[in-house]
Amino acid sequence: MLGFLEQIINALLLGCNYALIAIGFSLFFGALNVVHFSHGDVCILGSFVFIILYMLAFSVKLFNVLPPCFGVLVLIAATVVITGILGMLFEKVVIKPFRNSNALMPLVATVALGLIIRETIRLFYPEGSNPQIFPDVLPQGYFDISGFILRYDNLIILFVTFAVITLLFFFIRFSSKGRAIRAVSQDTEAAMMMGIRLDSTIAMTFLIGSGLGALAGILNGAYISLIRFDMGLMSGVKGWSAATIGGLGNIYGAIIGGFLFGFVETFACAYVPGGTAYKDVFAFSVVIFFLIFRPSGILGEKVYEKV
Amino acid sequence: MQGDRGYLDKVKIFFAECFLLGLFILFMRVEHIIGILILIFGMGACWYIYDKLENVQISIREILKREKIFSMILTFVILVCVPIFLKDSVYLLNLCIWAGIYVMLATGLNYQIGSTNIVNLATAASYGIGAYTSALISVHTGISFWLVILIAGCASGFMGFILGLPTLKTKDYYLTLVTLAFGLIVYLVLNNLEFTGGPNGIGDIPPPTIFGYSFRQDLHIFGMTLPYHVNFYYLVLFLASFYTLISNRLYHSRVGLTWNAIREDEIAAKCVGINTTNYKILSFVINCFLDGMTGAVYAHYVSFISPENFQFFLSVVVVTMVILGGIDNVFGVVFGAVLLTLLPEKFRVFQDFRLMLYGVIVIATLIFRPKGLFPQKLRKYAEG
Repeated sequence: MLGFLEQIINALLLGCNYALIAIGFSLFFGALNVVHFSHGDVCILGSFVFIILYMLAFSVKLFNVLPPCFGVLVLIAATVVITGILGMLFEKVVIKPFRNSNALMPLVATVALGLIIRETIRLFYPEGSNPQIFPDVLPQGYFDISGFILRYDNLIILFVTFAVITLLFFFIRFSSKGRAIRAVSQDTEAAMMMGIRLDSTIAMTFLIGSGLGALAGILNGAYISLIRFDMGLMSGVKGWSAATIGGLGNIYGAIIGGFLFGFVETFACAYVPGGTAYKDVFAFSVVIFFLIFRPSGILGEKVYEKV
Repeated sequence: MQGDRGYLDKVKIFFAECFLLGLFILFMRVEHIIGILILIFGMGACWYIYDKLENVQISIREILKREKIFSMILTFVILVCVPIFLKDSVYLLNLCIWAGIYVMLATGLNYQIGSTNIVNLATAASYGIGAYTSALISVHTGISFWLVILIAGCASGFMGFILGLPTLKTKDYYLTLVTLAFGLIVYLVLNNLEFTGGPNGIGDIPPPTIFGYSFRQDLHIFGMTLPYHVNFYYLVLFLASFYTLISNRLYHSRVGLTWNAIREDEIAAKCVGINTTNYKILSFVINCFLDGMTGAVYAHYVSFISPENFQFFLSVVVVTMVILGGIDNVFGVVFGAVLLTLLPEKFRVFQDFRLMLYGVIVIATLIFRPKGLFPQKLRKYAEG
């Protein structure tokens, strides 16, 4: 029973990571009908940006001025903003030129962008090809509830993810920018006729999506405490898969898909004999299964083709 | 008069192709980076000018159309002669073989990305299944390579059929995701299964033999001794020519036309009575069949395969070749495959920056020449 509870915590943690990445995929797809394939690499870029900022903060002795926990929050906020702006730039340079062309061009372009991001990290970060140790930014320690161990950092990761998702929910639901994002994803042309600025709305979605991705990168780094330049590829593919399972373009679907993915992977690891090596096989089989039997995802609406 | 002009055309084609051969050999031979850059910029400038001169293009195309058979045979003969100029360097021959293998993969993928507009990111999987099938059969049973290559093709083609089944329900990004997930599954399974050797792969794959003559034996011909790679060069050259020929014929057939109809507008294609599902599955099967045969050739050439050779990146490289060369244009695809095989090798000076350069080239091509270096012209069924 205790083991089962632990597996649930693990699944939730993994699900948080996938959900944060999948939200980005869904936002971009909603706004532009493109798959931003390098989004996973943007997330890892976020965690590298955080490491760099952390070391900078150390060298200027920021933590002597600010209390450590506040300092880390400032750094996380700065990382999220920087990565968000980088994401906006990527959109301007790599995705915008293909706005009116065949939908598969931006896919290939972002595959190449992912390659460039990975190589940039590998080449320009000192010893970038080796795994990097992620700083311990979250408090160490645990509650011991009659044998069931609940670590502080796990709790914080869960709490932060749920808080961010709730904030995003309110933002999308009630703010005017959020309404613009929803309008664009529903019908781009009609939204433009209503006076919504397409460019700034798209830039906004990329800012939010990439910022959430950076947060996912930081939390994931803090959780597994080792990051590598090429981890982004796999997490990108999984985020895309999670978003697709939930229904591309639907943010809530992305969250559900992310957690579903986390559960499938963790339970395949824990309860299928010899499953550890095949956990990704299980996860991707679920994706294929979903795409064949429910192509529009869990929450996605069925699209009727019009002539 | 007609005879005279034909004669003149043949001479023109002959000199042009000899010039191209010389350029190719020079490009292969140059090792200093400045020389390479001068050559590349020179060729780029020539190509740029050529691209602007419509008249020249039309006249060249007309000459080639008149002397189609002659120019094709001459090209083949010239390619047969290439190893004579490169016989002292195993490295360069190896490079040529790689170029050939990529040409084979790219022409295969062109049926999907080019003709039917399905971005298939499972090239590495179909290629890997072909390679593993052939390697396992050869190592364990000793069946002749010439049979094994067909079995590998069939195994891979069957995989293509399975992979194509989701086209009943999914399309666009969703279909791409299916192929991507499938490719990753195949890689993971190959990496973990016992009988495929896991991460250690399969070694000691026997070379092909023909009438008792082993391909891993130096070639003695016309008093010359050529390294054994030449055997494989000819094998790859033969198959690559065969693939391009099939490609060309399919493009001009009803099947190619149907694929293009699906690419342009699927609903319209359905409305005129095309069974889009069947034709999409057909493009999967043909692509995977050819990939499987290519995989068999690769496995028997390097004699050692491991899952590392069939990673996701390979699929991306092949997609890039098709897009850079010119979507749906067989000549363009061949050119793109050769160029993208040779360029990274020639840029060895940049060492670590090669992959990054690759990414930049892809994005720049997509932005500035979205239809590739040699865009496909519209089909023309009547003169004028």
